[in-house]
Amino acid sequence: MPRDCRLSPDPVARHSFWGEALLGRSKVRIEIGILFSREGSYRRLSEACRRGALAAVDAVNADPALPVELVAVERDPQGNVDRYGPLCAEILRDSSARHIVGCVTSWSRKEVIPTLEKWGGSLWYPCPYEGFEASDRVVYANACPNQHLLPLLAWTFPRFGRRGYLTGSNYIWGWEMNRVARDIIAEAGGAVVGERYLPLGDEDVARLIDEIRATRPDFILNNLIGPSSYRFLAAYAALGAEDPDFAPERCPVLSCNLTECEFDELGPAAEGLISAGPYFHTGAAPYGSSFEAAAHEAVRTLALRLARADDPAGMTLSDLLRVPAGGTLAIDPGTHHATLPVLIAQVRGGVFRVLERWEDVIADPYLSHRDRRVAAARPSLSVVT
Amino acid sequence: MKRRLRIPDLGGARAMILHRPHATVQALTRQLSAIGLATTDHWPDLPAAALAADYVFFDADMGHDGQFPWAAGEAPMPMIALIGSEAPGRIEWALTQGADAQLLKPVGDNGVFSALLIARQAFESRRASSAEIAGLRQRLAERQTIVRAVTLLAARGKTEEEAFAQLRQLAMAWRETIEQAAARVVARHATKGDGDVRHELP
Repeated sequence: MPRDCRLSPDPVARHSFWGEALLGRSKVRIEIGILFSREGSYRRLSEACRRGALAAVDAVNADPALPVELVAVERDPQGNVDRYGPLCAEILRDSSARHIVGCVTSWSRKEVIPTLEKWGGSLWYPCPYEGFEASDRVVYANACPNQHLLPLLAWTFPRFGRRGYLTGSNYIWGWEMNRVARDIIAEAGGAVVGERYLPLGDEDVARLIDEIRATRPDFILNNLIGPSSYRFLAAYAALGAEDPDFAPERCPVLSCNLTECEFDELGPAAEGLISAGPYFHTGAAPYGSSFEAAAHEAVRTLALRLARADDPAGMTLSDLLRVPAGGTLAIDPGTHHATLPVLIAQVRGGVFRVLERWEDVIADPYLSHRDRRVAAARPSLSVVT
Repeated sequence: MKRRLRIPDLGGARAMILHRPHATVQALTRQLSAIGLATTDHWPDLPAAALAADYVFFDADMGHDGQFPWAAGEAPMPMIALIGSEAPGRIEWALTQGADAQLLKPVGDNGVFSALLIARQAFESRRASSAEIAGLRQRLAERQTIVRAVTLLAARGKTEEEAFAQLRQLAMAWRETIEQAAARVVARHATKGDGDVRHELP
């Protein structure tokens, strides 16, 4: 058994800290926090993230080349936003963990930031989000709007048109995603034919469907989450079966956070849906969804950086992000956001088929760098499969 | 009325920080760079090049009028006060500099983006209001000229209403404001002495 070797501030110990480990005698034991809800409306996303993070912990521990043994210190906020702050504090107070992988909603992420500041902790956040944040305490391992929404709209306009219907759940993700979409649609000379929000968890989607039927948009941008989204997609699929104007070939539903981890719940209603993200489960790809992939990559790059850092306990997150960790997730030390591929994929026959791909898109969380926007390729006659 | 926020173009915008070397400057610089602005910091004075800056952050605790290359309240860009001491005297001074927004010290992890947006919006609306007020003031000052022009035109046997209608017609024909047309009528009267401008009519 590896000795419980806590990160010590003693300079002598620090000097020879990794030496012992590198000789293969033992791995250095490092606790990391895991803060994902195992129940609640977004539990499918949360479970996918947790799976990815824990699988990465196992993989790091099983890797003889890595002189690190990660020990997960886990807390479950049970889908209750008020529990994230206190449980984050509990991890930082009761264990030696300084890095926490966790949170799904932006609301919960914003709840833990003051706690991270107070205790000197860091959050590795594995979900796509709406941008306009660059906390010194957070690593954003999944996509922000120039890595999901902007490419998705740029890809959609020449193929389906510029008249969009926007919908979302009543909280920051839906509001901000649709605000950005309104700007981008207006910039492209298009029109927003309708925009409607549902309270979190609301399943009364009849009015959405009525408005879509009446306004006949070119596409629908779906920023609903959880049960509202499932119910809406089922109702819209039914409308498409009735009227071919609303079939995916004419008027698709677009999403920036729908992944394979929600397929169980959606069933055939997912067919035709077009989604943007850094990863899709195609062919022999190892992870079930982009949530799993991002959490896995976050933990792996954290382990690699900790293993290569001179003073992992004493350095700031920004310094840790400057430690070269070749071959893993590239993270911009200025914004703490990951550089990611951007993929556009459509659900066909129950699996995502990738239709377009851009490599190494640098995150632009404040949408202030036009040069970080991808250029959309014009549609060609050949179909990418 | 619901007013939509216009998001300023922040990529490559220039921000200057007037503050002594301090952790606050580092925290500000980090946030500004993450947003996409180019940043320089200065102490104890802002150089003349500050006139070309897009945003100025200034220390409200140790600041004084002599640090700026412009008169108090006449900064040509949005100004954001960095407030440590909330003493009324210091807040008063920050306001006389024309602070459009403020950040409380110590500056931490966030707050800069909203300060930039609020300061830009406040600055633009302040500037638009000033331009509108200046225009209205000028027109108010020229009211006297209109009265004189109407009196001159009415001296040829018209009623006041007819004379005013004629002045408006002249303004339209000359494609000018009514104030400018009135000034022209008055000037013509001063040279010719009769104020007869009928031959100018189209």
